[in-house]
Amino acid sequence: MSSKRIVVIGGGPAGMQAALSLAAGGLKPVIVERAGELGGKLKEWHRLFPSMTEANEVLTRLTGEIAEAGVEVMLHTEVEGIALGEGGAHDGAPNGVVLAEGKKLPAGAVIVASGFDIFDARQKEEYGYHVYDNVFTTVDIERMLNGDKVALSDGTAPRRIAFVHCVGSRDEKVNQRHCSKVCCITAVKQAMELRERFPEAEIYSFYMDIRMFGPGYEELYQQAQQESHINFIRGRVSEASPTIDGRIQIKAEDTLVGRPLKMSVDMVVLAVGMKAAAGNEKLAASCDGLSLAPSGFLAPRDMFTGCVSSGAAGVFYAGTATAPKTIGECIAEGAMAAQRAAEYLKSGAKR
Amino acid sequence: MDGLTFYSGFVVPFIVGTSVLFAVIVYKYVRWFARLPRRDKLSVRRGMFSGATVAAAWECLMESLLHRRIWRVNPALGYMHTSFALGWFLLIAVGWIETVAYLGGRFVPLQGHIFFKYFTTELQHGPRWGVNFEAVMDLLLLYVLSGVALALFKRLRSRAMGMRRTTQLRMGDRVAMASLWFIFPMRLLAESFTSGIHGSGGFLTGGLGGVLATVVPAGVMPIAELGAWWGYSIALGVFFVSMPFSRYMHIFTEIPLIFLRRWGVRGEVGREKSFDHFQLEACSRCGICIDPCQMQRDGGMTGVQSVYFIRDRRYNRLSRRMADSCMACGRCEAKCPVGLELDTLRVGSRYTLNNTPSNDRWAYARGGNGRSDIAGASLPSETAQVGYFAGCMTLLSPRILRAMESVFAAAGEDVWWADREGGVCCGRPMKLAGEVDAARDMMKLNEELFRRHGITTLVTSCPICLRVFREDYSLRGIEVLHHSEYFQRLVAGGRISLKAGSERLTYHDPCELGRGCGIYDEPREVLRAVGELAEPSETREEALCCGSSIAGNAIGGVAQTLMGRAVGRAFEATGASCVVTACPLCKKALARGTELPVLDLAEVVERHLMTAADSK
Repeated sequence: MSSKRIVVIGGGPAGMQAALSLAAGGLKPVIVERAGELGGKLKEWHRLFPSMTEANEVLTRLTGEIAEAGVEVMLHTEVEGIALGEGGAHDGAPNGVVLAEGKKLPAGAVIVASGFDIFDARQKEEYGYHVYDNVFTTVDIERMLNGDKVALSDGTAPRRIAFVHCVGSRDEKVNQRHCSKVCCITAVKQAMELRERFPEAEIYSFYMDIRMFGPGYEELYQQAQQESHINFIRGRVSEASPTIDGRIQIKAEDTLVGRPLKMSVDMVVLAVGMKAAAGNEKLAASCDGLSLAPSGFLAPRDMFTGCVSSGAAGVFYAGTATAPKTIGECIAEGAMAAQRAAEYLKSGAKR
Repeated sequence: MDGLTFYSGFVVPFIVGTSVLFAVIVYKYVRWFARLPRRDKLSVRRGMFSGATVAAAWECLMESLLHRRIWRVNPALGYMHTSFALGWFLLIAVGWIETVAYLGGRFVPLQGHIFFKYFTTELQHGPRWGVNFEAVMDLLLLYVLSGVALALFKRLRSRAMGMRRTTQLRMGDRVAMASLWFIFPMRLLAESFTSGIHGSGGFLTGGLGGVLATVVPAGVMPIAELGAWWGYSIALGVFFVSMPFSRYMHIFTEIPLIFLRRWGVRGEVGREKSFDHFQLEACSRCGICIDPCQMQRDGGMTGVQSVYFIRDRRYNRLSRRMADSCMACGRCEAKCPVGLELDTLRVGSRYTLNNTPSNDRWAYARGGNGRSDIAGASLPSETAQVGYFAGCMTLLSPRILRAMESVFAAAGEDVWWADREGGVCCGRPMKLAGEVDAARDMMKLNEELFRRHGITTLVTSCPICLRVFREDYSLRGIEVLHHSEYFQRLVAGGRISLKAGSERLTYHDPCELGRGCGIYDEPREVLRAVGELAEPSETREEALCCGSSIAGNAIGGVAQTLMGRAVGRAFEATGASCVVTACPLCKKALARGTELPVLDLAEVVERHLMTAADSK
């Protein structure tokens, strides 16, 4: 194989870690990033669950190492698809990526770390996002926390806050059947952060199930109940409507008590889920062997030893391109994909 | 007497076949008719001596013989059906006239008409009454044979006939179809042998007979002749016996169906009834319903379209999945050449399949008296002439609610909000799921609420509610309007004025509003007042379904997404900057399928309301 270059699509945590691991192994990675800087969605987060680590701390560590290792980074660059070899022994086999205007970036292997999209809460019009002033998403709250300005639209402090879980997750009505996994713990974390800021406020959290799968998550959930006095109500919110005094009335059913309930609140926070990236379809169509799961995420070869492999030789996956994951999981997959890509190049060199 | 006899051994298969066919058809029709409810029988009695009967006869001529509606969808398929139906009918009719022309008023048994040529070789076969019957009969035979050739071609290559998909066959159909294909070639052969022996026959049978006489040794000719007549009779017999058990039952059944329909008999939405048999067996399984189905076209769901549903229901092997796999969008119904009530039939089956003793899903919700526990209607607190029923889906679309409030305010309308005063779900979702009893409870409650309040107009922004209000509720004295009709009246009556704009809009016809209630023009009239209207390629009666119909009980997210995208692309192709619809459910579905903004008609009206400041 002529080129030892490996293209990493996406400069989020998974992509950055993949590039770092490749560089450490003496290979030549290049990160192709759509945005103007590295970091992906990590740039927008405030503190990370469950340890409350500053997101910026993780971000600067990764970007610092990238700079130190001298990894080549192409910013403002969109990937159109996987490039396929023409003629010779490698006819039709992946050998790089196609950039805008059909420009080809040749490579020995490709790591797809292109991430996810955030579910557009406007699709659940019944929750009033972008209809009423004080309905926010968990993404908005992270931004507000980062700017240190959490308040209602008129600048005042909320007296009653309701979190709504599973917005755009486990919801057949918007064709999002999967569990996005990280929203429960995110909502718990944010409820606790809002408690710090608004010690007097009533904070409610409406959930279907609370899924605390990671180390320290369950403990945080207990802490939220016992120390932060977050009131968890099991029941899905059906709709939100405006009240005469400008607040928001939500309707739900408390399924543990078995009663419908109506509640007027000042602020609604929608725990939005992870949606498969819109670009997955185009990418999968560009190369034989790449396929999509019914959820729209890219389908890895299998769920176990092949979890970072695709159906095409030389194309690997890392991070949330294949399913919702935590930042830690994304970084672990980045390292694993780098290792698999390196092995692939090595076996090719022997041939 | 002329000394003619009309008997030979080979007529037995034909006689047996005809007798079985006649007996089975009479048994079926009498039984189905006897089981019709009293109401239907009354309406038949009233209709029988009215203009409806003449209209039905005319329709039979146009549809059962000429197949006008198939021609409209697909001329090649139309030709095939017409050549069989009209051609065969004329062969029988002209054949009967021919018998009378040659033999006068004497009695001729049935087989004498059918095998006329074999039994009347002693007659002089010159023209009678100035008509060359042999040539006419040959021409008709040739016409039918051209249809047979086309049918064979269609089996081999359905796409060439303008159909992307054709139906798969059952065993009974294969037997009937094979025998049907044999009938006319065998008839040609039999008549040609006879003509060859006796030097008679028209241009076709005579011509072929002449060729046969030279090729086949003279000693073999009579044996071959008898063999061919046996073959013809057996083909007829087998076809007639298998016909009532195959799709060819439609040949006769379309006739009573047309008459019953003209006399006012209809299927019942939500329940199976005896009339359904006439519809099920009038289906020729032409497969025209397959291509318009978006579930097949865009959603990757095959084998569940109306033609398959009808087949399975007719043969009593209907599955839940089959009954549930339909959006009841009405696109296939609009194309059905027999005019079958396809949505009604499907929903009726859901009721039957749901209400088995082992599957009484709502027992826990009913009180001891077997009635539901839904609370009684409360007395309304306000009074107004106009009631507004948002419906569940509008309640989940606050932008539409807000727009309705603005428009009512601008028109100075004093409105009573039914949903805020104890109104419950309209009942149609339950009904379409086959839960007719639960639906009936809800309908009663709403009816009582509306009547107690004394409103004279009921406006709803949901076409699903609109349809059930119009079709199932008894709301005498209350005019039910869709918000599009209401807006159009407000504009026409000068109660609101709209600012004209230059935005290019495209409009999505909701199934329940368009094909369901026939409302196409009012929303368009309102839209033309505020912008430029761009129509998608399939529109009005042919409009696509958004893919998210409440009737689609068994359609998964993937199929819905695929259909939603296909619809989205159709709207993007119009070059419009905004998609407008008039149904809250369609709005939600379309928003998932396109990047264009999707608005309800109410939101568009709200944005273009002329205020006092504008008019200065």
